[in-house]
Amino acid sequence: MTIALNQGSNTLFDRFAKLNWGIITILCAIAFVGVLMHFSVSSGAWTDMPLTHAVRFAAMMSVIILGAMLLDARFWLAIAYPLYGAALLLLVGVELFGATRMGAQRWLDIGPLSLQPSELMKVAIVLALARYYHQLDARKTGTVLWIVPAFLMIAAPVALVMHQPDLGTALMILFAGVSIMFLGGLLWRVIAAGAIVAVGGAIFAYTSILHEYQRDRVNVFLGITDDPLGAGYHVLQSKIAIGSAGLFGRGYLQGTQSQLDFLPEKHTDFIFTMIVEEFGLVGGFLVLALFGALMALTMQVALRARSLFGKLAAAGIAATLACYVFINTAMVIGLVPVVGIPLPIISYGGTAMFTLLAGYAIVLSIDLHRDQHGARGWLW
Amino acid sequence: MKGKRVGSTLPKRDANVIFNRRAALLSFAGAGVMGAILFRLGQLQATNLISREYTAAADENRFDTRIVAPPRGIIYDRFGTILAQTSKDYQVAVIQDDVDDLEEVVGRVGQILGLNAEWARRAVLRVRGSSRYEAQPLQEGLTWEQFNAINVRLPELRGIVAQSADVRAYPYDIVYGHPIGYVQKPTQRDLDAAMADPEQGQSRSVYLRNPHVRVGKAGLEASMEDVLHGEAGWRKVIVNARGVEQGEDETERRDPIRGSGVVLTLDHDLQRIAMQNFGEQSGSAVVMDIYSGDLLVMASAPGFDPNLFVNGISQANFDGYNLDEKKPLYHKTVTGVYAPGSTFKMIVGIAAKQAGVEDNWAVGCSGGFFYGGRTFHCWRAGGHGRMNLHDAIKHSCDVYFYQAALRAGPERIAAVARQFGLGEHFDINVPNIRDGLIPDPVWWRANRNEGWTGGLTVNYGIGQGAMGVTPLQLAVMAARLGNNGLAVVPRLVRETRATASVDPPRPPHIAGVEAEYLARVRDGMYGVCNEPGGTAMRAGALELVRHPETGAAVPLTAENRSWQPVQIAGKTGTAQVRALGSNRGRHFSTIEWRFRDNALFCCFGPWHEPRYACAVIVEHGGAGSSVAGPIAKEIMRATLLRDPSRREPARLAQLEEQLGRSV
Repeated sequence: MTIALNQGSNTLFDRFAKLNWGIITILCAIAFVGVLMHFSVSSGAWTDMPLTHAVRFAAMMSVIILGAMLLDARFWLAIAYPLYGAALLLLVGVELFGATRMGAQRWLDIGPLSLQPSELMKVAIVLALARYYHQLDARKTGTVLWIVPAFLMIAAPVALVMHQPDLGTALMILFAGVSIMFLGGLLWRVIAAGAIVAVGGAIFAYTSILHEYQRDRVNVFLGITDDPLGAGYHVLQSKIAIGSAGLFGRGYLQGTQSQLDFLPEKHTDFIFTMIVEEFGLVGGFLVLALFGALMALTMQVALRARSLFGKLAAAGIAATLACYVFINTAMVIGLVPVVGIPLPIISYGGTAMFTLLAGYAIVLSIDLHRDQHGARGWLW
Repeated sequence: MKGKRVGSTLPKRDANVIFNRRAALLSFAGAGVMGAILFRLGQLQATNLISREYTAAADENRFDTRIVAPPRGIIYDRFGTILAQTSKDYQVAVIQDDVDDLEEVVGRVGQILGLNAEWARRAVLRVRGSSRYEAQPLQEGLTWEQFNAINVRLPELRGIVAQSADVRAYPYDIVYGHPIGYVQKPTQRDLDAAMADPEQGQSRSVYLRNPHVRVGKAGLEASMEDVLHGEAGWRKVIVNARGVEQGEDETERRDPIRGSGVVLTLDHDLQRIAMQNFGEQSGSAVVMDIYSGDLLVMASAPGFDPNLFVNGISQANFDGYNLDEKKPLYHKTVTGVYAPGSTFKMIVGIAAKQAGVEDNWAVGCSGGFFYGGRTFHCWRAGGHGRMNLHDAIKHSCDVYFYQAALRAGPERIAAVARQFGLGEHFDINVPNIRDGLIPDPVWWRANRNEGWTGGLTVNYGIGQGAMGVTPLQLAVMAARLGNNGLAVVPRLVRETRATASVDPPRPPHIAGVEAEYLARVRDGMYGVCNEPGGTAMRAGALELVRHPETGAAVPLTAENRSWQPVQIAGKTGTAQVRALGSNRGRHFSTIEWRFRDNALFCCFGPWHEPRYACAVIVEHGGAGSSVAGPIAKEIMRATLLRDPSRREPARLAQLEEQLGRSV
């Protein structure tokens, strides 16, 4: 019945109408918050900043809607391994020929293009692992032998990104990969064993392998040692801004901590602080609610998808989004140490926006073509 | 059951079921994290609701109280001429945050101003330690040409600013260097001293750290700092993270209050004439009103330029002053202590009269006096013949006063000297006042560990020995002789906001000094300046006559020869600075400057109705009659012609009102 209906009306216009407009609306709402905040970052002037943000989002959004309509799950399944392979090669390329900016070797300059392969990897790892578990017999997911390939697929990029060094991105790749392994059916006893090995290894590394200066860095990172002039100052100013905001904030364009530059990185990593300072607890709750709704809708896409690949890919994107949002907001309120992770689609800059919207091209595509599970030749 | 297994040995698992279960688990975990973040956001608000700590921290971040330095009080002469004021200073400054290469840009500023690489090196060192975001002065006191040269090239000097600031200025530079002194930037010692006060210390030290604040370092500027500095204002400004001002909370503003003006007793015209008359000489001149005690002239030569000190004096300039043997930085009027020499003879004369010496008591002067196994010489080798008190003062006969001193006794002489102000402390609001010394037998035993001898008394008679007086004290002595024994006290400050200008009451009479004693001595002083044979006939020749109707002094002309002459009465003094006799027989010009005699002269006038007293000391000038007398004559002549005490003095309230209108 459903199949017949779909077969009857599969024009481009029909596909457009059937897009997941809930997700698209929320993405646009989040982007609007971003434009609003960049207008405030510019002290209430139409500078390049809010304009660029708006134009960049509109352009990317158009491309992903088009992509979602034209490409179905078979395409994503097909490119999963090649994309992963390419991303891994590029990471190796960064290691060998990469440009160092702001103390880390992350960029690969190809002509006029400036590429961060680690961002590409955030999407590629989700697709590759989704495909791996999609094709793996559910009974094999429990055996140690079949854990090894998945483990290596995660470990290789994490190690390379760690070495750049970019701890935040490495953690995100690790978290997205582990999430998919978990959803793919990793046995609980393996999870327990892995957790013990991870914690034990970390403690052993901390006490025996690390040099003194490396240990210092870890201490600062974990908050055992204060670093009042570096990240400590950022978090202190952020807490002052949030704490003094009140229920409805100081008012749009009126945040003293952000407008007078006491708040560092207010247009990137600390933009959530600025939202709370100017719009109060209510504003902060509303923005988190938007992200929460987006996560929920994405999980709904995952649950609705008929293929395991679709389920795992959508859930992986949701996990990546959660990773961005939770680490960023927890960081600006001093719950976790500062790692340079922006608030996606709100923070200024094209990289995180590109990564996340590319992910949503996959989510929208999976949702639009969710009934194509019948094409067994590809997906089964 | 031992049945055989079919297919895989692994347990059967459905990937979709597992996925759904685990997706739910993961969603719950996500909701939990979201809850933790929301809770933490609320918790921060709740904490602030109770303690206000984050609100307070945000306010502390953005509000900054900036001190506004008050304009310093203006110093006027008695008729309202401005002697110290606040004027514009042109400066070049640098905002380091806007500069890429500090050394390079400061070097270019140095080239434009014509300053060397050493200057640039020091300027860079000085600036490096201070705020990167506020303008730090590189060079102050620019000429208008230098200021323009910088201004024209500002576009190519990123981070350099040309600015003007208030600075203390002394329009008559060397004329008032000593009495008024100068201001400078507060030093660490000023800050430490301010911090010693437990109540005001903190706010005072904040005030002192303001880059525009200057404090008095010498003269009246130092001793009247509390009166002159005024009250600092403040502004509550909104600053950004770099401390750059973004706005101001005008409701919290308090304007500074200008320091009180100070009207001095000095008369600018006379002070200037006095300084000019010293020429290259070193010394001091004082003119005072003998009834009010107003100091009309307080000159110390050579002078120094206080303007050089305001922005920090260069080492070369400072050495030029400090190494000069004429000691320009030394306030000789109150700090210089000199043997009074023959000017002391009036004191000896009064003491002798007190001791009962008759008017007709006369002494034969043969050029020397033999006492205690040695001969005390008279300045005139051939002797003066028979001398009574009048003639002895007129001719300054030493032999008469050797013997008069023996008759009066050292205790009596010392007592009279102190009654006339010698060795007495007069607080006239300038720092470093020295009291001089009038020794007596008690002092001698206590400080020299030996008994007083008659020989000391003999020497006492001509104002030599251990005694020392300041030019100010010498002027007070002349004033108390001129006003017939009133204990007038000198003053330099007429009026401040706190002290209204009232002329002091008529001073009391000096006890135990009969008018008759004074009349004898004053007659002798008249003789010095006006009778043939007087030692200061040249100084007495003022060539002034008294207008019969107005009583004013006017210059002598062919037409008014019949009018009463205006005369003065005085006394010369020549005091040895080297052991007695070592200069004897040598020509004046062959003696090294610093070993030559000090020349002194004190006088009062006009004789018919005395009003002014004057004292002049010329260091190492030689004879009092030939060096100090002529300077005193010019100063006295100008004083009598101008007659400042009979002119209406300026009132501070009016001067400050005019100032308020002009601002």
